[in-house]
Amino acid sequence: MHVYIYDDYLNKSKYNKIVNRVEIRLTDLGLNGKIIRLSGIKNIKGSIQGEIKLGAKTIVAVGNNQTVNKIIGAIIDTDVYGDFQKKTILGLIPIGEDNSIATSFGIKEAEEACNILLARRVEKIDIGLAGNHHFLNQATISALNTSLEIDDFSLEIKARGEVKIVNLLSDPREAFKSNPHDGRLDIFIRAKRNEESFLSAKKFKIINPQAQLLVDGVINLNTPIELSVLKDKLNVIVGKERLFE
Amino acid sequence: MFSKGNNLEKFKDAETVIGASIKVKGNFQGQGSIIIQGALEGSLKTDANILIGDRARVVANIESKDAVINGEVRGNVKAKNYLAVGGTAKIFGDVQYGEISIAKGASVNGQLLMLAEEHKRGEKVKGEETATETSK
Repeated sequence: MHVYIYDDYLNKSKYNKIVNRVEIRLTDLGLNGKIIRLSGIKNIKGSIQGEIKLGAKTIVAVGNNQTVNKIIGAIIDTDVYGDFQKKTILGLIPIGEDNSIATSFGIKEAEEACNILLARRVEKIDIGLAGNHHFLNQATISALNTSLEIDDFSLEIKARGEVKIVNLLSDPREAFKSNPHDGRLDIFIRAKRNEESFLSAKKFKIINPQAQLLVDGVINLNTPIELSVLKDKLNVIVGKERLFE
Repeated sequence: MFSKGNNLEKFKDAETVIGASIKVKGNFQGQGSIIIQGALEGSLKTDANILIGDRARVVANIESKDAVINGEVRGNVKAKNYLAVGGTAKIFGDVQYGEISIAKGASVNGQLLMLAEEHKRGEKVKGEETATETSK
């Protein structure tokens, strides 16, 4: 059974047309299922986990990165699954802006996403963890005065720029590669004009008293904060054009 | 043997690169090749290769398979296979190597010890050495 989670902002009239088109396409493909609108729900996690307990096999986020962030926690929480119940799979139908996660999954637009749901190509991927917040793509912070504590050493950055902590690459034009199956987070530091640094780690602490960590482009978190990775934690439906192997 | 192209080829797929505006403190250990262009204090060890850039300042003992030193290193250097000391390198510490090449202008202040013949010869060169010629 498919359960579709519609984000709040899809109530705006400018999205009516695309939402209607998606619903018609899903019906044509025989993929219609229960719709939950986040605008009327206070306990999102509880509602989604209620559906998982009732046997939902696929939870589909209809919206953007923020929608995915709201529902990941509910899906990966193992307490919700019965002894022999298979893990619920995450699907995505991107609508509107901020859809880098869909780009990573090889999903460019909403109607194509319906076909990808039907094809049901499933990949198991790592999930990043920043404090208690899960993320799929990346977390970013200003480079100047940021320090990282990794294993037995620390890094101090004394130049302007940006630190990117990547689980899943969202921009195919980036010069670097990142693997969401390796159980590690890739750390890319771009300072000054052309200076690039990179390394990877399983677990580390990031500290910058003057800046916040932006997770998946939607949540700002204060530092110090610990980042880590949950290996192969989430099953997702992806397209052929996904940005990882 | 000391051609820049050959030495840098090994670092094309380096797993770790530390840029010039970054300072590392502590015991830095990796599995893949490491390039240091910034500052490092502590120790530096990998099973693969290490390149110390010409602007890098390293206060650490270094251990790797191959190593290319172009910057300043205060500490002992151990390259189990091949060590290339560039013309801009300044090493203040003992150097152990399988094979070595030293470019004109490099300075090595410490003992040079060839690892393969360590037990046979026990030959050590003490004191400050300033290379005048690229060997090999």
